[in-house]
Amino acid sequence: MNGPHDLGGLHGLGPVQPESNEPVFHAAWERRAFAITLAMGAHGQWNLDQSRHARENTDPLTYLSQSYYEIWLRGLETLMRERGMVNEAEIQTRMAELSGGES
Amino acid sequence: MPTLTADRVEAVLRRGGSARVDDHVAPRFREGQRVLARNIHPRGHTRIPRYVRGHHGVIHRDHGVFVFPDSHAGSGDPRPQHVYSVRFEAAELWGPDAGGRDAVYVDLWDDYLEAAP
Repeated sequence: MNGPHDLGGLHGLGPVQPESNEPVFHAAWERRAFAITLAMGAHGQWNLDQSRHARENTDPLTYLSQSYYEIWLRGLETLMRERGMVNEAEIQTRMAELSGGES
Repeated sequence: MPTLTADRVEAVLRRGGSARVDDHVAPRFREGQRVLARNIHPRGHTRIPRYVRGHHGVIHRDHGVFVFPDSHAGSGDPRPQHVYSVRFEAAELWGPDAGGRDAVYVDLWDDYLEAAP
């Protein structure tokens, strides 16, 4: 698809800004998002290319306003929803629990 | 469904997830051959960047046989085929303002390419 992930040649994004001693994860939730993605991938319900497509297959406004691991998490939700492994109510319930301070 | 238990995590991560396969598939192109990146716009997943479509390059290196992402992301069909490092002159991609000595090497699957005179 001619999606927002194909950035080659796009102007206006500014230079790449490398961080010295860049950490693998920039926040604790990113570590968790990555771990959950690997753990769910082990179920064998999708392949690598399907997971890539789930990340890129969204509207450009959403894609370009999300951080790397936000994109990963949204892609994982999509893959799991499509296969009936999680539903919207379960996600909303958990979001409410988390916003109440539970971890 | 298999569950990724804690004791298996390290082995799984070390093994990684290479898309390289052992299938014996004949390459459609050889190193040094001039090729055209097809002007295609698939609705599904693809790994051919827009900026090379419709442009000419030269096969720099044959990486071997890999799963084809376009079909693999769709129906799950691996359709194994050769992947090449294809050299594109910068001016071919970006026009006369590009550096005259610059080039871009892009890894492209057999199905993305046509032979060019």
